[in-house]
Amino acid sequence: MMLKYIGNRILQIAILLVIYVAIVFFMLHAMPGGIKTLLISNPKLTPQAQEAIIRAFGLNQPLWLQFVDYMKNVFTLNLGISFSYYPTPVWNIIAERLPRTVLLFTVATLIAFFVGFASGKSLAWNRGKTTEYVSTVVGIITYTIFTPLLIFVMIWFFGSFLGIFPLNQFLNPDLWIHTRLNAQIVFLYILMTMVIIGAVMMVSYLMALRFSHKESTKKMIFYVSTAISIVFALFLWVVSPIGIYGADILWHMVLPVMTVTIISYAGNMLVMRDSMLETIKEDFITTARAKGLPDKVVRDKHAARTAMLPVVTNFVLSLGFVVSGGVITESLFSWPGMGMTLLDSTLAKDYPLAAGALIFTGIFVLIAHLVVDIVYAFLDPRIRY
Amino acid sequence: MRPILELRNLKMYYDTQAGQVKAADDVSFVLNEGESIGLVGESGCGKTSVSMSIMRLLPENARIISGNIFFDGRDVVKLSNDEMNKIRWAGIAMIFQAAMNSLNPVYRVGDQIIEAITAHEPNVTFEEARQRVASLYKLVGLDPERMDNYPHEYSGGMKQRAIIAMSLACNPKLIIADEPTTALDVIVQDTILRELEKIQRKLNMSMIYISHDIAVIAEVASRIAIMYAGKIVEMSDSVAIFKRPAHPYTVGLMSSFPSIRGEKKELVTIPGEPPNLLNAPDHCRFVPRCPFATDECWKAVPSYTEIESNHFVACFHPQNLKKRVSINA
Ligand SMILES: Nc1ncnc2c1ncn2[C@@H]1O[C@H](COP(=O)(O)OP(=O)(O)O)[C@@H](O)[C@H]1O
Ligand code: SF4
Ligand SMILES: [Mg+2]
Repeated sequence: MMLKYIGNRILQIAILLVIYVAIVFFMLHAMPGGIKTLLISNPKLTPQAQEAIIRAFGLNQPLWLQFVDYMKNVFTLNLGISFSYYPTPVWNIIAERLPRTVLLFTVATLIAFFVGFASGKSLAWNRGKTTEYVSTVVGIITYTIFTPLLIFVMIWFFGSFLGIFPLNQFLNPDLWIHTRLNAQIVFLYILMTMVIIGAVMMVSYLMALRFSHKESTKKMIFYVSTAISIVFALFLWVVSPIGIYGADILWHMVLPVMTVTIISYAGNMLVMRDSMLETIKEDFITTARAKGLPDKVVRDKHAARTAMLPVVTNFVLSLGFVVSGGVITESLFSWPGMGMTLLDSTLAKDYPLAAGALIFTGIFVLIAHLVVDIVYAFLDPRIRY
Repeated sequence: MRPILELRNLKMYYDTQAGQVKAADDVSFVLNEGESIGLVGESGCGKTSVSMSIMRLLPENARIISGNIFFDGRDVVKLSNDEMNKIRWAGIAMIFQAAMNSLNPVYRVGDQIIEAITAHEPNVTFEEARQRVASLYKLVGLDPERMDNYPHEYSGGMKQRAIIAMSLACNPKLIIADEPTTALDVIVQDTILRELEKIQRKLNMSMIYISHDIAVIAEVASRIAIMYAGKIVEMSDSVAIFKRPAHPYTVGLMSSFPSIRGEKKELVTIPGEPPNLLNAPDHCRFVPRCPFATDECWKAVPSYTEIESNHFVACFHPQNLKKRVSINA
């Protein structure tokens, strides 16, 4: 049942993806001069190189054949050569930058989700207090604030005023000049560490569900295995020679992550608060209280668990908003991910790279959508398969 | 017989911007072990307020002004919330008005019952709790296989049965059933109530049935208390109330339910507005709608008179007295 549902969703997302790529293709065609001009209109390209591109992309063929070729090229990751990084293939650039964006977004989104969830929950539970009023107002302000303004405030406050975080960029060149390490490799190690820790958390959670029916034992299994894996990972990083470089990258991540977190936090918090306020009026909450369950159990296990569903839905709806915020954030922090690539390549008229960045940002968003849909299906048993 | 529950002059008011809503005003009654009582009255007369006071599950704007609620010898009005949590479900369980929404949609029905068991009996293992749920399911006429389903996979009647099973989970001494079947169709309503009564007798529990439908209650409860505007206006055993209703309001309630098995009807046949509990007047509260009202009724609140053994009524002009005199004679 569940597998069938997931299969269906994957199919739907795949169809959406093809449609999306097609839209990008026709958009490029609608540009003055069409794709052909776009792909070769670069002074850096020699006539031979232009010939080669025309042949490789079949740019002299009829439109529908071009479309088929284009689709084939996209799905074989043959995205052309970047003008601005000539002669690096677009795919190589994207393969390097996509993980950075994925990391930035995933970390920020998870933090924003859990902090928004927890604060929205306790605000609703302790309703009517001044703290609720103040936090709601602050939430609405950060929710409606113009993203660049937020970023400048962040940069000024943490970078200049407090001076505790680097202002921009991916790493500190002064540090890396002394090493022959490849920053990308170090970065991938960081990513791998996080994925492994995430996997350990998930597996231990599922194990806990399976092997125990006592709330406290479940929690213990989960927290202990999470703590062990984190401590172990930290230990490995500290003793390894690349530890300091990893730390440098992480250090540079703090501000961008914080910014994207703030951008999506307020929405989560406000939706959670509203949803929680509605949920605690439900009859099943009265039932839970009548059963003599402790207040905390009523709040967390019954109210918050059910109130969380709209927050997940809201996340899907606000995905576009978070991505556009991400483009601005990456650019202003010079965080070399997909967002910055998208903006820079467009400004530099580097069309192959821009198209590639557009396509892969889209793929990323669609996959995020898929993941959230699947998570939702696990959270809400009422979902129809 | 030992009293399991005694309400003594309970006053519970809601604070609202318009003033105090006197939802329970001097409510007193005694319920013995193994006995059942029906609380009957139009919607808005304070039945749920009384039951929520007993459970101490009142909203924030509610206040118990005075009075006592003795459960098993202890005054629950004075208990802390933690102490109350021990009494909830293990001592007093509830079957709620809104069966449809009384179960949490994201958990399996069986697990929600097990949760109640393990909260009060921490030494019971998961397997033992499951077995208990299975036997409860059989008792209320549900297939034990269904305990692993989610609420949305149950029909309305099944949900109500599951909730009844849940109310029995911790072997409570008292169950309050607040309009347990109003949301269901008439036939299901009838079977479920009858089964509930059977279970109540079998397990020798005490029971408070709450309903606006006096005919339904008369069949299952041994005693009936009629509530009007936050007050109990008449109380006696079911037969006496049904055969010889003394309070004009009770008479009205009866005539608005002409047949016992008839369609469910709203109380439209008593003319006049249902009372406003705001700023309760210092005269009989039924007077604007009462066909027997006299000047006397506008001047004072009638106190209880015992018109026959254990039949109390708060009215200056009780009805059906003649018949009674001849019976007593
Ligand atoms: N939280 C509340 N605040 C103010 N008034 C309330 C509240 N809950 C119920 N009431 C009022 O108290 C009266 C009794 O309500 P209730 O006990 O629910 O009656 P019943 O269960 O007999 O229908 C009604 O007039 C209702 O409007
Ligand atoms: S006291 Fe008077 S007004 Fe009130 S119910 Fe009795 S007869 Fe009617
Ligand atoms: Mg009610």
